[in-house]
Amino acid sequence: MIGAFNLKKYFPVRGGVVGTQYLKAVDNVTLTVRRGEVVGVVGESGSGKSTLGRMLIRLLEPTGGEILFDAPEEEMVKYREALESGDKESAEMISRKYSLLRKKGSELRKLRTRMSMVFQDPYSSLDPRFRILDVIMEPMISTGYLRGEEARKKALDLLEEVGLPRAFGNRYPHELSGGQRQRVAIARALSTDPELVILDEPTSALDVSVQAQILNLLKEFRRRKNITMVLITHNIAVVSYMADRVAVMYSGRLMEIGDKDDVLTRPKHPYTMALISSVPRPRPGEARKRIVLKGDPPNLLSPPRGCVFHPRCPMAFHECGWTAEEVAEDINYLVQGKYYNVFGDNVKVIPLQDKVKVEGANPESIKKVLEVERENIRSLTAVKEVTEDSLLIIHAFQEPKLYKESERRSVSCLLYR
Amino acid sequence: MERVKERAKVLEIKDLRVSFHTRRGVFKALRGVDLELYKGEVLGLAGESGSGKSTLGLAIMGLLPRNARVESGEVLLDGSKDVLKRLRDYGSRDVKFDPRKNEKLIKRLNKELREVRGRALAMVFQEPLTSLNPVLQVGYQIAEAVYYHDPMRLVRRAISRNRCTQADLRDLMTTLKTKGEEALIEEVEKRNLRGLEEQILSIWRRQDIHEAKKEKLILSLDKHKLDSKDRLGISIYLRGLQRVPVLGRLAKDALIKEGYRLAVEILTYLGIPHPEKVVRMYPHELSGGMRQRVVIGIAIVNNPEIVIMDEPTSALDVTIQAQILELVSSLKASSNRSFIFISHDLSVLAEVSDRIAIMYAGKIAEVGPVKVIFEEPQHPYTKMLMDAIPTMDKTELKAIPGSVPDMRSPPKGCSFSNRCPFVMPKCKEMEPPMVEVSEGHKVACFLVGERK
Amino acid sequence: MEERTEEGKYSNLILSLKVFFSNRTAVAGMVIFLAYVVDALIMQFDPRLLGVTNPNQFTYNFVNPVPQPPSSQYPLGTTYPGINLLQAILEAIRVDLGYSMLIVVGGAVIGAVVGILAAYVGGYLDELLMRFTDIFFSVPYLVLAIAVGFALGRSFTSMVIALIIVWWPIYARYTRSLTLSIKESVFVEAAKAAGASMVRIMFKHILPNTLPPVVVQISLDLGSVVGVFATLAFIGFIPNANTPELGYLASLGLNYVQSAPWTVIFPGLAITLFALSVNLMGDGLRDVIDPRRRS
Repeated sequence: MIGAFNLKKYFPVRGGVVGTQYLKAVDNVTLTVRRGEVVGVVGESGSGKSTLGRMLIRLLEPTGGEILFDAPEEEMVKYREALESGDKESAEMISRKYSLLRKKGSELRKLRTRMSMVFQDPYSSLDPRFRILDVIMEPMISTGYLRGEEARKKALDLLEEVGLPRAFGNRYPHELSGGQRQRVAIARALSTDPELVILDEPTSALDVSVQAQILNLLKEFRRRKNITMVLITHNIAVVSYMADRVAVMYSGRLMEIGDKDDVLTRPKHPYTMALISSVPRPRPGEARKRIVLKGDPPNLLSPPRGCVFHPRCPMAFHECGWTAEEVAEDINYLVQGKYYNVFGDNVKVIPLQDKVKVEGANPESIKKVLEVERENIRSLTAVKEVTEDSLLIIHAFQEPKLYKESERRSVSCLLYR
Repeated sequence: MERVKERAKVLEIKDLRVSFHTRRGVFKALRGVDLELYKGEVLGLAGESGSGKSTLGLAIMGLLPRNARVESGEVLLDGSKDVLKRLRDYGSRDVKFDPRKNEKLIKRLNKELREVRGRALAMVFQEPLTSLNPVLQVGYQIAEAVYYHDPMRLVRRAISRNRCTQADLRDLMTTLKTKGEEALIEEVEKRNLRGLEEQILSIWRRQDIHEAKKEKLILSLDKHKLDSKDRLGISIYLRGLQRVPVLGRLAKDALIKEGYRLAVEILTYLGIPHPEKVVRMYPHELSGGMRQRVVIGIAIVNNPEIVIMDEPTSALDVTIQAQILELVSSLKASSNRSFIFISHDLSVLAEVSDRIAIMYAGKIAEVGPVKVIFEEPQHPYTKMLMDAIPTMDKTELKAIPGSVPDMRSPPKGCSFSNRCPFVMPKCKEMEPPMVEVSEGHKVACFLVGERK
Repeated sequence: MEERTEEGKYSNLILSLKVFFSNRTAVAGMVIFLAYVVDALIMQFDPRLLGVTNPNQFTYNFVNPVPQPPSSQYPLGTTYPGINLLQAILEAIRVDLGYSMLIVVGGAVIGAVVGILAAYVGGYLDELLMRFTDIFFSVPYLVLAIAVGFALGRSFTSMVIALIIVWWPIYARYTRSLTLSIKESVFVEAAKAAGASMVRIMFKHILPNTLPPVVVQISLDLGSVVGVFATLAFIGFIPNANTPELGYLASLGLNYVQSAPWTVIFPGLAITLFALSVNLMGDGLRDVIDPRRRS
């Protein structure tokens, strides 16, 4: 149905001493959605999931990459292969035919009848000065899908379909509750009978009891109309209820994608594992191992090198992208704290280019500490060797790509090379 | 369950009724809430928006807005202190409600409660940014919290450290190592060095550093003497001159400086890396999770008996939420504090609470031990709520039809009657009483009363 | 299905009225303002109700041209040449009010279009339009109005044009800032997703949402425009010396100001009272659109 290839969105951030920097909201994301399927995109705030969704229906222009719309599956596969093999010519041919990004003006407007979006906050996504009926009719009229009386009739029918009385058509949004507004937003999104609907956190502004109503409504529409959906949410339970496939994003990158049951019950990427184990469960007293990640998601202006997740990853190893600064900080912490009795006061840890200098310490005791702490403090795995003069050499790193773990599952982690 | 009964009540709420007078009408936010909080427990307070759960939190703190009328009820701290008496005396009178009059009473109440808050009660809000002052360093904000509630603590800390000698510290260190923490506190008292023990213990209890390092840090406490300016400031404070202009400034500066040291200890305790740097940072420089830790730090720095947390994790990501939940659990384990944890997310409450109270339309629908509530819920609302939460292993969600009632004219009788599948004629007539189904498990539903 | 917030159709209007009427000074302002409007309407449609035969002209009395103090016959006295001040003020209000409305609304319309265009299209157009308004801002408005007025010749039309030229940049800036915040709102994004064209988004979504604050601004500005309009007339912009206009009326008594101060005071008071009333009313209207006041 729709395929995004190496999609990028960089937002320029001006000012400061450093000049213009780029915030990499979405970086090299490849994602294909088949007709009739529901793909859940999960991620925390700042993971770029909303930006991705907005690019998919061209509410935001990507900085790079390509989106193919309504291309047959073989063509998508071909395009991907062409990209990978560097076959520019055939890639260009396919993209000329199906590219969403090359559509302009009336062509794009026509395409807009085939895709729509439901936004997170039903309180701000409806124009306060529009009557409900006008809200629902807007996509039909703007795209010329239906006009006048026909559009009106369709809008009234839709109101009924989303479970609201027809009389609501003459009301204004402020007269409705949150759940009712979200129903109106869904009616608007469905008014041009689109094939693809992007749902951006459709229930996170709603109460639990209303959330279930809306999710069931969406499920019902999906069943009846065979609509393709991309469900963007931070709520894994919602994805688990709605989606067929799940894509996990972190810091603008795709971490893992695969069938829902696989990803949620047998996560492969360490981030997915942590994410899923962090989801609170209504099972009091249930003994389970929770992976509590240390620290915070990275600053998108200067993301960590290598794998963006490595500083928080409980399974990271030597090639994940450790820098001398990261290693030095952890060693310093150990030397000053836990191993104070071994090293005393006169040790200095200095990060250099891909090396860490530990002054005033004996290489043997450093080795011993590394040996013991390696399991817990993952940055220590990056130390390749300790030289005679206590110089710690850091391993070279590798940028992870999306590796095919099985037929329908890809993971962006070096563990699955 | 016997255990629950034995524990001391730290907070008791009796028949609390609060309404908000607005231009759109009178919203009855709390309509007769009865609730207890026991020492050392986490009470989860669940409910949808408009259920009154946040109002209840604010009412306990005495932080009600001017248009809130306390119609009846008591909030008893430690079984005696009636927090809302002043407002209730006005609110229960049968006169036209005047928010201006109420505001004056609230102001006076705030003055009275200043001492209680912090020492007995503290609150953590959902949005950490709004409860932190953006132009003050976080260390300053923690220090100020202590300065306003217990300035003598800062004085004691500074003076005791200033007075202690290397010999004192060596002796104390030996006492601590051989006889334990209790003995240390006694020994400190004996040497008239009160205020030193918390500094020693905060180092001693750290998990992340080696014994040798701890010992070194403790023994070097006497190196951090006061400079002449701070000595002057503290002596000004001790002479009661803190209200004199200029001199007062010196006194406050000296105490705040001591407060920064305390802030570092608190942040270390909360597991924040590089606390010495963090205390000099401003709120916007911190991530959401860190900010919430700082807010929790401000809340617990005065060792309150009760901490009310209003949706403390709702603005945070799941992985950060997990960190904060872990922190709350460890805080509960390491102190004998009581927590009220307000959340709309039952799953979060399942993870942290000992008991859970489910609120609906300004009343408690069901309250009981967490296991009982999740495994054998009795109230239809609780049951339906459990079926409506999406979880990772559910394939079907049963939505609750309808929505919460308009709180300006709540339905007569049971407030859930218009959405309840088991509704009986009398549900629309009378309010169901709270019935105790088992030890500590109370339900407000006729179905349950019937069966009894 | 859901029964919540079924507030009546007019609940919003009723609430707005409640907010407005809870502000007493605003209500007082509105009462005075309405009195002016009623007076202007009567003068326009049936002046005889107030005993005036021709509201387009002063009625001179050259028999006794020297200003008379207030008396039972002339409640506000007379001014040179023998004009009944009360009647003249009642006549003049129509002219001042009408032209000021025209100026403010004209300025607001032009300003709104420019502001929305600049903010929504952005980029070079924004830069260009805003620097253009800066030029107007950099010249003191009275000087600018006089310059334009002299260039166009002395007539009411040229005065109106001059003042519109002075006034639109204020609205351009104001609507621009309003548009900048509205265009970031989700409903505009939703309209884009619905395929709405730029023109449709600007004039169907953004313009209606900028209106309430702009209307408040209009009511606040009306007072100063009347003042400036009268000032221009006072310093001699009036082309036809017989037209009832408050500033001109005040200038008539200028030679007698020491012996007959009422000749200047009363027309001046009429202007001040009007300015005061619309300002009070505007404050009340501002409360109405302020979400914090509505709860």
